[in-house]
Amino acid sequence: MNRKVRFALFFAVMGPGIVTAFADNDAGGIATYASAGAKYGYSLIFIMLISTVLLAIAQEISARTGAVTGRGLSDLIRENYGVKWTFFAMSVLLIANLGTTASEFSGIATSFEIFGVSKYLSVPAMAFIIWWLVIKTDYGKMEKILLLLCLTFFSYVVSGIMVHPPWPQVFVESVTPTFSGTPAFLLMAIGVIGTTITPWGQFYVQSSVVDKGITAKDYHYTRWDVLIGTFFTGFIAFFIIVATAATLFVNKIPIETAKDVALALKPLAGQYATFLFAFGLLGASMLAAFVLPLSTAYAVCEAFGFEHGISKSHKEAPVFFGLYTVLIVLGAAIVLWPKLSLYHVMLTTQVVNGVLLPPILIFMVLIASKKSIMGEYVNTKLFNVISWAFTFILIFLTLLLLVSTLFPEFIGNVFALL
Amino acid sequence: MNELRVLGEFYFSQLAHKPIWDAKGRRVGRLLDMAMRWDSISPHVTGIQYAKGLHALIPIGWIGSWNADGLRLNTTFDPSLTCPMHEDETLIGKWLLDKQIIDLEGSKLVRVNDIALSWVSHEDHQYLVLVAVDIGVRGLFRRLGVEFLLSRIANNFVGCQYIKPLENRTSALQLTREKEQLRQLHPADIADIIETMDYRQRANFLETLDSQQAIDALTEMELDAQVEMINQMDEVRASDILEEMPPDEAADILGELPVEKSEEILRLMESDDAEDVRELMQYQEDTAGSLMTTEYIGLPFWLTAEQAIDELRRLAPDAETIYYLYVVDEQETLEGVLSLRQLIIASPETPLKDIMQTKIVKISPYDDHEKVADIIHKYGLLAAPVVNDQNHILGIITVDDVLELLMPERPRGEIFSSLIALRHLPKGGYSE
Repeated sequence: MNRKVRFALFFAVMGPGIVTAFADNDAGGIATYASAGAKYGYSLIFIMLISTVLLAIAQEISARTGAVTGRGLSDLIRENYGVKWTFFAMSVLLIANLGTTASEFSGIATSFEIFGVSKYLSVPAMAFIIWWLVIKTDYGKMEKILLLLCLTFFSYVVSGIMVHPPWPQVFVESVTPTFSGTPAFLLMAIGVIGTTITPWGQFYVQSSVVDKGITAKDYHYTRWDVLIGTFFTGFIAFFIIVATAATLFVNKIPIETAKDVALALKPLAGQYATFLFAFGLLGASMLAAFVLPLSTAYAVCEAFGFEHGISKSHKEAPVFFGLYTVLIVLGAAIVLWPKLSLYHVMLTTQVVNGVLLPPILIFMVLIASKKSIMGEYVNTKLFNVISWAFTFILIFLTLLLLVSTLFPEFIGNVFALL
Repeated sequence: MNELRVLGEFYFSQLAHKPIWDAKGRRVGRLLDMAMRWDSISPHVTGIQYAKGLHALIPIGWIGSWNADGLRLNTTFDPSLTCPMHEDETLIGKWLLDKQIIDLEGSKLVRVNDIALSWVSHEDHQYLVLVAVDIGVRGLFRRLGVEFLLSRIANNFVGCQYIKPLENRTSALQLTREKEQLRQLHPADIADIIETMDYRQRANFLETLDSQQAIDALTEMELDAQVEMINQMDEVRASDILEEMPPDEAADILGELPVEKSEEILRLMESDDAEDVRELMQYQEDTAGSLMTTEYIGLPFWLTAEQAIDELRRLAPDAETIYYLYVVDEQETLEGVLSLRQLIIASPETPLKDIMQTKIVKISPYDDHEKVADIIHKYGLLAAPVVNDQNHILGIITVDDVLELLMPERPRGEIFSSLIALRHLPKGGYSE
């Protein structure tokens, strides 16, 4: 094959990884990275970089499983582990995704509040518009428009360079493992991991690989798609942390609302920083709010054998449309709760995602290491060791968070002993 | 004496993982799965898998009784007397439970939530027979152990005569019966089923269809799905199928594939077919040329009506429509057109040039779609010929090609497939 043909083939299969990557830096993602930068300076970059590497591994496993089997993750869990485990996995996915949907609506509400529109107006209106557009229009086109909006996040890269951060210090701190047993730090660390690697992202990348009709023989192109996507997730996250650390952390400005995060864009956009931020946040939140309820409804219906697909009528696929509607309505309703800090919704849901991630990872790795399912594309030994190590570290962190929240002194004492 | 008596009814989920005791009350193992034989009669259980990783089975004849607590054998358990699994047997749990099957009655892909078994006695023999698979929500709740929540909802069963599992077993006898059943499905339904399968299931499933059925089903699909299907096949199989498809459809599909792949497929196709398709592929997407098919009926002007009817019999199977017949000279120049009706009511000896109409509505291959639709609509035609500057006929555009253009892109599902079904009526039903 000459270079031109290979290039054309790459563009034909490109997409799933890159869309997931951009939807990954959603409202919750921005809030978490910004908070990490503002509160802990450059020190959490290390955890962010590690979780980006792990994201690459996790996404690669999902995309490979999708290409080899031609099936979604929930489908495979059902066929290999039966109804009870599927029920468990789907419950985990539903809780995590309901939370994440709420965080997307918080993002939408925040960006509208920057323009002076009350959340009681913007959230119900956008919830309805999303619900309606997904059912009535061509999703593919919407996706492209929203992806364009997400490009505004590159402004963090420009801003991060313009603030002239102390680069030597940034790099030293990036490669220095930092750890602390305080609940606040653990929360932040799990939040960073939970926003980078999400249960829905794994389900989504696998089913969109399947939807694109990518097979095992085209898989090597998809691997690049996934790796490039992951690179951008990490790249933007890195600069969000750098930009917020160099502006907010250095000047000891705490983040109270998501609007404060826009301050980090001041060096680039001056007084327009908040608008730039609002557009980006809106794009990312909308993209994820489109993708999330739909992919959740798909996954659940696929697993339990209910009729599904947007081309079906409400009567043909009542469970599918019911679930889809309930997710949007509940997600929006949570945000409308009076006196709720939108910013905290975004942060908390990322921690919930992080806590709920291990069960999904376990299923993914188990399936990807079964030779009867994956054939010659089965996980290599090294890959398995890394994936299991990661899964156990995450479970350990989650337990640590639980213990440190319930018995704050205990962890302190343990650290003092060490 | 000859009658069938039902002794009990069970669900697979109620028996699975239940302990097994022998006559002395020793615990032998647990019911992990059941081996089933599906020969000319109904599928029946032949043995029970009682330990992990062990291929030995407890013969079904050893089972004395069973209840909610577990199974009791009527003999003392001796591992050396267990039987191995035979080649024509399958483990039903592994093969059916949680898997997707084709429900031949409802013509769709469904997932098996549970399996219904019956304990029957017939002529002094007792059998455990597979009766149906449960595809309903109640089966799902039963598996979760909360069936009582849905005790008012009826079970949703598919009888075992209507199920077509996607993973084939080895029995050749079974295959012919399944092929027979699949033949009952409408190609549009098969198309829907295939579209919901993953690509490995597709490859398997296409092999169980005869080639005509595969082609009919593929023709029913939307372009996106067609492209995906062809893309996933190897080139040889793809070329075999595309050869048999209407050239306009084949050209549309090949036009969407990467150049490398479509060239390879064209090279493998028979040269006549490939040439037709290549010709159609050269037209821009929004022109009349891209809509037309080359499978029209052209008759030389010197034929008599009777000869023309004979010729029609020979040509009809491949033609897109036979209601309009095009009269041409040796250079394929369009001389006239006549309808099937005119041909049939004409006296047998009349030469075609006396019956045909010479005032013909023509379309240029470079006309845009809107113009084509306008012309067909304005003159109320079932088809219109496409001719070049020298008045040579290149192909025809039929009214259903135009209809497809006018259909909005989005709504599929029921409405669309019933439209597809209707589309077949003027062509005289789908071919077998």
